[in-house]
Amino acid sequence: MLNKIWAGLIIIGLLFTVGQDIQDEISNTYNNGVIQQISFSYAEDSPQLLTLILDNTQLTATIKTDQIIHIHLDTNSPVHLQNIADANGNKNRLIARITSKNNTQLNLLLPELHWHKLRSVTQAAFDMAKFAVKLAIGLIGIMALWLGLMQIAEKSGLIKSLVIIVQPLLYWLFPNIPKDHPVFGSISMNMAANMLGLGNAATPLGIKAMQQLQSLNTNKDKASDEMCMFLALNTSSVQLLPPVTLIALMGTQVSELIVPIVLATSCSTITAVLVAKTYSRRGAKQDKACNS
Amino acid sequence: MQQLSSLIIPLIILFIVCYGLIKHIAVYEEFVDGAKEGFNIAVNIIPYLVAMLFAIAIFRASGALDFILILLTPLADFLHFPAEVISMGIIRPLTGSGSVGVLAELINSHGEDSIIVKISAVMFGSTETTLYVLAVYFGAIKIKNTSYALQAGLMADFAGFVAAIVVCLWYFS
Repeated sequence: MLNKIWAGLIIIGLLFTVGQDIQDEISNTYNNGVIQQISFSYAEDSPQLLTLILDNTQLTATIKTDQIIHIHLDTNSPVHLQNIADANGNKNRLIARITSKNNTQLNLLLPELHWHKLRSVTQAAFDMAKFAVKLAIGLIGIMALWLGLMQIAEKSGLIKSLVIIVQPLLYWLFPNIPKDHPVFGSISMNMAANMLGLGNAATPLGIKAMQQLQSLNTNKDKASDEMCMFLALNTSSVQLLPPVTLIALMGTQVSELIVPIVLATSCSTITAVLVAKTYSRRGAKQDKACNS
Repeated sequence: MQQLSSLIIPLIILFIVCYGLIKHIAVYEEFVDGAKEGFNIAVNIIPYLVAMLFAIAIFRASGALDFILILLTPLADFLHFPAEVISMGIIRPLTGSGSVGVLAELINSHGEDSIIVKISAVMFGSTETTLYVLAVYFGAIKIKNTSYALQAGLMADFAGFVAAIVVCLWYFS
């Protein structure tokens, strides 16, 4: 499933990109090789500075030599002009060629641009790969901090007393884990952090739980039933307080959303548990069938 | 609300450290002992995270999402819910920063009071970035075969998506 979704994202993305580029080529969005006739007027009596109308937009430009003109762009300029300028190095300066010129009109040839979309998508992929490493490195500090605190809480017996409260629920969710195993401590800490909307505390605690689940796992390459259950619980995120990002975005509005969020998140969590339980039962049945 | 969230973490830290002291734990030594794992975990995660995020980046940058939205709009009309929230439903399991972007965009264009923003915010608040969590959690313990974890996660997301729409339409009507 993961393999298919992963490949699907890449294939759909790239096919769609190529499709748009082909459409751009067919309709010649970037006016490749087309000489455009443009009327212009001199600005402020300067022989170099002029204003011109390109694609229904008024733009200023500077004549550099007889053949070269720099058209000045900003963020409000037509997007395809910005794209052409960007591909040639400077987002705010479009370098075009003048083929001929008289007092009120000039013939302009813009630089060619092919496969623009494909190029920008490739760039996005590279940027994201770099960002992923940055993200992981950034986790080191916060991870170390929470793992350190966890160690104190574990050694002082704090976690054990926390587990007692939620024991019955955890034993039902994870029936195959020995009842006194320390993983229950990490799981309940992770759940607590999730409920309080503390995303960056929940991740290190969850990873700690995953490591302990891995030590119980018989096949180290494949996720165990307990891991799947735990992951499903985390992705559906039981929440009592809204996440910090949402508070930042919505401001005070967020308080009236708490009830709907708790209701919706309960639905998703219950679904997560039911789906995980169903799969694990099905797996257990298959194992039995194989063994007998 | 904002105050409460910013108070919780310092309180937890204070409580853990004090409790350790009361129980005569060598708090500093234990902290360092636990913290040294942090580096290895983060490095383990890198390949998983790169694989996941770059595929998502290609999908996002291609604009395929807009196309999917156009395809799904008739369905939304048929079921009587605003089609704009579908973009949140699709992007939410894929990327955290992307869904923040979508929500900010919706707030910008529809206002905080609109039902579209409310539904999207509830979706945002009630589910997690499934693919990111999957990459990070399984990356940390080097598990490549994720069994049925993704199915369970995505089904939970879908349930949260539907629940957000139904609950908001009922709650805010």
